[in-house]
Amino acid sequence: MSLLYDSKPHITNELAVSVRGVGLTYTTSIDKKPTLKSRVKSLGRGTKQTRVVRALDDINLEVQYGHVLGVIGANGAGKSTLMRCVAGILPPSQGRIEVYGTVSTLLALGVGFNPAMSGRDNVFLGGLAAGMSRAEIAANFDEIAEFSELGDAIDAPMRTYSSGMYARLAFSVAAVVRPDILIIDEALSTGDAKFKEKSLNRVKELRSDDRALILVSHAMQTLRETCNDIAWLHKGKLVQRGNPDVVIDAYQEFLHLGKSAAIDEDV
Amino acid sequence: MSTPLQVYEPFRAGLPKLGFYGKSLWSRRTFIREYSKSELREQHFDSVFGQLWLVLNPLLLSAVYFILIVIIGGATDSTRYAHLTASLFLFYLVSNSLSGGVKSVTAGQRLILNTAFPRIMLPISAVVVAVFKFLPTFFVFFVIKAVIGTPFTWQMLWAIPILFIAIFLSLAVAITISCVNVYFRDIASFLPYLTRTALYLSPILYEASALKPKLRALETFNPLFPILDAWSRAMVHGEAPHMATLFQGFAWAFGIFVFGTYFFLSREREFAVRL
Repeated sequence: MSLLYDSKPHITNELAVSVRGVGLTYTTSIDKKPTLKSRVKSLGRGTKQTRVVRALDDINLEVQYGHVLGVIGANGAGKSTLMRCVAGILPPSQGRIEVYGTVSTLLALGVGFNPAMSGRDNVFLGGLAAGMSRAEIAANFDEIAEFSELGDAIDAPMRTYSSGMYARLAFSVAAVVRPDILIIDEALSTGDAKFKEKSLNRVKELRSDDRALILVSHAMQTLRETCNDIAWLHKGKLVQRGNPDVVIDAYQEFLHLGKSAAIDEDV
Repeated sequence: MSTPLQVYEPFRAGLPKLGFYGKSLWSRRTFIREYSKSELREQHFDSVFGQLWLVLNPLLLSAVYFILIVIIGGATDSTRYAHLTASLFLFYLVSNSLSGGVKSVTAGQRLILNTAFPRIMLPISAVVVAVFKFLPTFFVFFVIKAVIGTPFTWQMLWAIPILFIAIFLSLAVAITISCVNVYFRDIASFLPYLTRTALYLSPILYEASALKPKLRALETFNPLFPILDAWSRAMVHGEAPHMATLFQGFAWAFGIFVFGTYFFLSREREFAVRL
């Protein structure tokens, strides 16, 4: 499925994503790396090998085309988990998610990249991982290279890149994808201040009447400027949903931080 | 209201819709190719010396066994060396699929956590890498065969279906073991012992016909046995393999594939929380 070119235009306010009564409970191992050896050693001792995690609890949300939804919450609130559910990465254990368009995720930068290969090769690899076709990547290659500002370094192996260069190329590949619904999870905090501004402008450009954006971030000022709606999650539950200024103020009040410069910044 | 393009609901421990899954996998074929190529490049197998090593590695191993069997053991039959080389090359295809496949899911953690795609693509890529590594050795064997003087016959074309069965078996085992490794990460540490045992229990250092009657059970319980036997008959002796042997090899591959794929597909949706 092509992510770059939407075949069917969407009307503003038409439903893009519907999340109804979604909960997610999963079993995970207590050991970071479970082994057969530890399992055998624990036999007969009655030690627990797994634990049950309730990551999301009865979440109800709707996102319309032409809207930008911001998602906020403390670490461990379930923001990334919810985004993974909407993207189809994690199936919910309760409720139903309906998605009315193509989805692209920008949950982490450089997914699919191989440091042994050149930046040029990784543009193709990262693009294919994001669901683009080879022809689409080739057609947009110049735009990606220009946006990344890497110059001749695009042909050098990525293991020689600085972390800033790596992030710039990764964001550039992701930014060229034009899906119906775009989910961005704290991916804006990349590169230097100039590139951050450029990235933010690209996200603002991606706002259009026939696209829905879901933005997960701790950068409150960015969310205030960009979003139509904010959803605040806490310990897997939806606490409040509505006007950005109202919800962000309530969230900051909850954190006992008030409206401080520190929380408005990208962190 | 229009029809949703995707609906995500709770799942039971069953299979996803196979038609949709297959289509999704097919649409990712270019990525599988590029991902495999990048793995090969990471291991420097895109260079001349890298490819040379692919040939040298099993050749050196066969040289060790040649010293052991022909020189020290006193065997004088030159076809024995051809059998040893041909069988080792094919064994390496299966062994490389296993060693690449076992960590394919755990190594693809970033992809799994951040992208929705058919996870089975990862062990498939590992097998594609193993096939790419096998191809140069295939041609080297023909040179060895010509030098030794074993017959070239039309029956050697049987090598094509046998190779497909060997790749099918490699894929089946890679899919299974990649999934097991998500739950027990030390499986990869046991793998060298398992493959070394399989090496000795398969007709590589000896021909299947030389097996003592009391060890015939190996033929029945070792999935590699019928495949390597058929391979040696076709490639070394230029004879048609026994149909029963071919069928047995295919039945093993098919059985493991069905079991492994069911295990993998019914578990893959929880990989993201297990990694």
